[in-house]
Amino acid sequence: MNILLRLQLFFQITGHYASYFLAYIFETIFFLIFVVISLIAMIYIFRKYMARLQLRIGPNRVGKFGLLQLIADALKLVGKESIIPKLRDDFAYKAAPYIVFIGLVVGFVIIPYGSFYWIGSLTITHSNVSLILFFGAIAMMPIGEVLAGISSHNKYAVIGAFRGIAKDVSFEVPMMISAVSLVMMDSALSRTSLNFETLVSTQFIPFGILQPLGLFVFMVAMIARSSYTPFDLSESDSEIVSGYSTEYSGMRFGLFYMGMFGSIFLGSLVVSLLYLGGFNGPYSSYAGFIYLLIKGLILVLISFLIWLSMPRIRVDRFINFGWKILLPISIINLIWAGFLTLGVIS
Amino acid sequence: MAEWTEVNFGPQHPSMHGVLRLRVKLDGEIVKEVEPIIGYLHRNAEKIGELQFYCDNMIYFDRMDYVAAMNMEVGYLEAAEKLLDIEVPERAQWIRVMMAELNRIASHLVWLGAFGLDLGMLTPFFYCFKEREKILKIFTEVSGSRQQLNYMSIGGVYQDVTDEALDHIKTFIREFPKELNKIESLFVKNDVFISRTKGIGILSKEMAIDYGVTGPMLRASGVEYDVRKAQPYLVYDKVNFDIPVSFKGDNLARFLVRVEEMRQSVKIVEQTIQKLPAGPYFNQKAKKPLMIRLRGQGEVYARTESPKGEFGVYLIGDGSMRPYRVRVRSPTFKNLSVLPALAKDQMIADLISIGGSIDLVFGEVDR
Repeated sequence: MNILLRLQLFFQITGHYASYFLAYIFETIFFLIFVVISLIAMIYIFRKYMARLQLRIGPNRVGKFGLLQLIADALKLVGKESIIPKLRDDFAYKAAPYIVFIGLVVGFVIIPYGSFYWIGSLTITHSNVSLILFFGAIAMMPIGEVLAGISSHNKYAVIGAFRGIAKDVSFEVPMMISAVSLVMMDSALSRTSLNFETLVSTQFIPFGILQPLGLFVFMVAMIARSSYTPFDLSESDSEIVSGYSTEYSGMRFGLFYMGMFGSIFLGSLVVSLLYLGGFNGPYSSYAGFIYLLIKGLILVLISFLIWLSMPRIRVDRFINFGWKILLPISIINLIWAGFLTLGVIS
Repeated sequence: MAEWTEVNFGPQHPSMHGVLRLRVKLDGEIVKEVEPIIGYLHRNAEKIGELQFYCDNMIYFDRMDYVAAMNMEVGYLEAAEKLLDIEVPERAQWIRVMMAELNRIASHLVWLGAFGLDLGMLTPFFYCFKEREKILKIFTEVSGSRQQLNYMSIGGVYQDVTDEALDHIKTFIREFPKELNKIESLFVKNDVFISRTKGIGILSKEMAIDYGVTGPMLRASGVEYDVRKAQPYLVYDKVNFDIPVSFKGDNLARFLVRVEEMRQSVKIVEQTIQKLPAGPYFNQKAKKPLMIRLRGQGEVYARTESPKGEFGVYLIGDGSMRPYRVRVRSPTFKNLSVLPALAKDQMIADLISIGGSIDLVFGEVDR
């Protein structure tokens, strides 16, 4: 029995449809709370980790070990005056941070989380096409970034937005091709292979071992999507001030910031779901969620290490890298997946 | 018919060193025209220098290249002591060389960290500044302050180097090369760093000479010219060191030349510790009560090798207690003048990395 049915039983007094409705709403709210708490924890881990790498101590003033620092920062951001430029496209300017954040949240709602202890499956979205839904949801985030860049009528922001477009176009294609090769291989094993849960549950051997090239391409594309240092072209602080978010301040900036860290976490979770076996493991019907979190956290720490040790790649080399290296690799991976599929069928 | 976007980089831009302002005409990502605008840190140090006694000018020179104050003091004193006809005791000369070389290491470390920041590497910055902090501690011990040192004075140094301070310098010199290798490997073992620096911003030998570029930038373009060798001052002719030269002329060459220069500075400091003679550390003719009464007649030009390049000081004395004219040849100003030519038709990212490789300190450009 999963968490949705448990909630539905709890609300049964309100009637059949209303109880499902309320169950969905409450489960989503629970998960959003989980997402926000995990983001705060992740930013804390990031700051401590960064400080350790850089011979510093990191936050240690607010609360024990600086644990409340992030809450203090969030309160500061909320309380700050939001300075908005006069020459802006008002609606787009104000909508952009929310588009980024909503894309992120929808992404978190769609992916499965496995089961946890007596609660059962924690998955919210029970859809047969959750993979497609997921890619649709995270494709919203660049739209928000581009809107932010163009609507704030700032030259740095416009350059940042253009770089963002170039980046997303050149990395989306290899990412999708490597996802397609996963689905292709999985379709030999099951009939609903556009579903995250099926994709995970058919991984007797993790797909990352069967398709190492696909793992590489997908991971790089996820790093590019979260736009941190080797690929943070759209907001490179030493070149174009802050890129698309130059004119944002206060909580609107906070939303972009959360969006960035959130997409690192989301990307790590998705990579571990698709390639590293996700919540599979011994006793996965009790501890699947824990397996997923551990794999995700390891990938997050790897991402942070890449972030902190790399300089920024130049924009033309970056696009070359996307089209001339990653795309051929992903096509080779697709062919390889085809051979694997043939082997499985025969 | 290209349409240009005119963008302002600086003076409050997060990547600009100090207060440089660049008016950049962009065609998409390509830089079409760069116009550096300077003067935001102009403090009129040269004119103020004419109103002061000779010994008072030191503090204004400290504030020129504020990350290498010792080298600025050496530069000024070379000119002032020649004009005032004051001899410097042997021990003071060795101490000056020691301090100047330590400060050269500190200055190059600042540059190294800032160059990493320009390329988007945050982490090496802290490793560089940790090492620099050790040098600043030594300076605090010998002079009492960290950056604006005011340590040397006409005819010697303000106070003698104690044995304790010498021990600290020895420890630093022993440990530093290992740390430097670590810091260097943070950069050069990174493929992305190599791709961002190799072949970027190539400054040819002829162009470097035409623009009057000096210092590590000139040596990275293949000219073996160092004032410390070409026209030795203080006791540089008695110490043994090499001039690192590269023939590539790109950002990577400038990086490697500066790193190698730090190793040579370590070598020089080691020798100064060994050869440091006993004796007075200042000239009795210029002791404190007499210092302001020094009079100079004639004109003098002295050049020294600051971490940025050839630092020249031109003084005219008219026989009074104040100089008639003070003029400084600023190496960074000359090196900066090459930026528009180097950055033309490059990407924005390369404009920033070329600007970073020049080693700009604005206190010295604007004076």
